[in-house]
Amino acid sequence: MMVDSELLKTDAVGCRVMRWYMGTGLSLVGFMMLVGLLLRASQAHWMPLSADTFYALLTLHGAMVIVALNMCGMGGLWFLMRQQISLRPSVAVVAYVLTVMGAAGVVIATLIGQFAALYTFLAPLPFHGNWPHWSTGVFLISMALITMGWIGWCMQMLGGVLRAYGGLRPAMGWDFVWHRQSFDAAGGRVPPPQAFPALMVGFDGLLAGTSGMLLGIALLVHWVDPRVLISPLWAKNLTYFFAHTYANLIIYMLAALIYVGLPYATGRKYHTSAVLAIGWWCSMALTLTNYFHHLYMDFVQPGAFQYLGELSSYLSALPVTAVTIFSALMLVWRSGMKWTLGAVFMYAGLMGWVVGGIGAEIDASVPFNVHLHNTLWVPAHFHTYLVGGCLLFVVGWLFLYVEARSDRRTGAAMRWLVGLLTFGGMSVFLAGFYWAGAYGVPRRYAVEPPPGPHLAKIASIGAVVMLLGFFVALFEWLRLRFGYTARYRATMIPEVGAHD
Amino acid sequence: MSVAVKLLILFLILAAVAIGIFLVVAVSTRRPPQDQHEVARRGYTIRGWWFTSLLAFFVAMFATSIPFFPYLAGATALQPALKVPVIAMQYAFIMPTHFPVNKAIIFEVTSRDVNHGFGIYNPQGHLVAQVQAMPDYTNYLRVIFHQPGIYTARCLEYCGPGHALMEKTFVVGAK
Ligand SMILES: [Cu+2]
Repeated sequence: MMVDSELLKTDAVGCRVMRWYMGTGLSLVGFMMLVGLLLRASQAHWMPLSADTFYALLTLHGAMVIVALNMCGMGGLWFLMRQQISLRPSVAVVAYVLTVMGAAGVVIATLIGQFAALYTFLAPLPFHGNWPHWSTGVFLISMALITMGWIGWCMQMLGGVLRAYGGLRPAMGWDFVWHRQSFDAAGGRVPPPQAFPALMVGFDGLLAGTSGMLLGIALLVHWVDPRVLISPLWAKNLTYFFAHTYANLIIYMLAALIYVGLPYATGRKYHTSAVLAIGWWCSMALTLTNYFHHLYMDFVQPGAFQYLGELSSYLSALPVTAVTIFSALMLVWRSGMKWTLGAVFMYAGLMGWVVGGIGAEIDASVPFNVHLHNTLWVPAHFHTYLVGGCLLFVVGWLFLYVEARSDRRTGAAMRWLVGLLTFGGMSVFLAGFYWAGAYGVPRRYAVEPPPGPHLAKIASIGAVVMLLGFFVALFEWLRLRFGYTARYRATMIPEVGAHD
Repeated sequence: MSVAVKLLILFLILAAVAIGIFLVVAVSTRRPPQDQHEVARRGYTIRGWWFTSLLAFFVAMFATSIPFFPYLAGATALQPALKVPVIAMQYAFIMPTHFPVNKAIIFEVTSRDVNHGFGIYNPQGHLVAQVQAMPDYTNYLRVIFHQPGIYTARCLEYCGPGHALMEKTFVVGAK
């Protein structure tokens, strides 16, 4: 058995940070999936909600799922990078507290305040709703707290990587790529694969977070003094630059879990190559400009941005499929990998990433966007990406993590049961979105035109089956968790009061 | 068949191919394990081809798509056309309700309060054109209705709890 994997490390601080981030994140995701089911059931006319409640819950669902999955990524990448570079837990704790406080504020603003301007809070909508004035302020301040936590995390990650590898040039692997012989001769050490997501997410996340704060402060100023005017086009650009990038970076953080998880599962090695480094440079640049695809239908947007948006949306598929996905397939190819639930979830996550990406690329073509923009096609592709990609990576990672430490094994029947329920239900749930999108059903309609309600019924059934699958998986995970071998048993009990 | 349904079929085909590749790779784990260096040697060749063809495909897609961009060039906007103002507001469209067939129409779309969308559904219910309606800005959407009948304009940007109710029907063709 392969013994040397970052997955097997039991650094108490890293474990605890990951446990808190992923535990909180996944619990939130679980609750928010139930809220999502309620929304689909309402659209199916099974459990009709008033429009005010529907949109308040939709605001909660959208904001919380993104934040929660982001937390999972933050915790996972922090755990992995803690083993490579020096990261002090205090920053992770502050970022965690800010994020959780922000999340609590979003719950208050939406559930009590009925704030319903959605996760994107496109200006000037937050100030033109039928919800109380205070709830707008609470929502904006909460998002600002979340963004501050995110900025703190990004600064620590970026700063840690730059310090540990001696600046931007070595951290990017610049000389490793272009001057390989002198680099090797000088005894240069290239950062491990997971350091590239850390650098990229730290850098892009910092830019996105700063822009988000700029927008948030502008909106808060307008909230205090409505005489201060905000350009809707400026606000829209900043909104999507922040919101798109913040959501997109989730999967780039989770790529680090693939770089460590799959080599462990397949018993193979994964090293930094020139192709990997160049791929991440490209992702770092393209992720900053592909948000323009959210503004295709704003014809007043400068034309050059529309072209840049389409081109960079297309090209961002290249590093993902040619580097991360392709390397993952090469790791698995004829590796004799054992299909534990951890391996199954992680591999399925790669599929979800690709399938969601295909849906996204179709929508990212300007001439097609005319027919799909703001239809249910949009939630179709990002649910594929978030549920079928990001969530599965996190779940897969946590399964690999306990499988590596447990005496217990998951039987074939259980693996088939979980797989069929989860992926079968998920396919039906997602098909409802894609189909409705192709038939022009608008997104964000509390009451949809036909065939929306029928497809919402099918989607609700799929969602119930999928949730059942995740629920069974949770019990199986707990069973493995409570069957740790003696070597790891000590790590099960949280060391109360231990200081790091 | 609407453009969007064709896109759905395209999506299903591409998704099926992708899933097929994943399944082939998954099934390969049942075969006797192969040395990783051997896998890498052959894999890198395939990756080179994959990268090159995908890059070529996307560049070709980009070039092909440009003539179909809906943005009006200055010269087009000056051509003879019926100019129709559309004002969106929570939760209604202020606009005329009769339009001629086969005549270029330029909708001058703006909003009185928040962001809205202006999506045009043809008599079959297909989404055929859309543009955002933004306060302080005017978006110009050029449309030619080739088919007479009853069309529906729907709001395609979330604008508040009445969003789903925001629609307006209009007639194209003889009164
Ligand atoms: Cu609307």
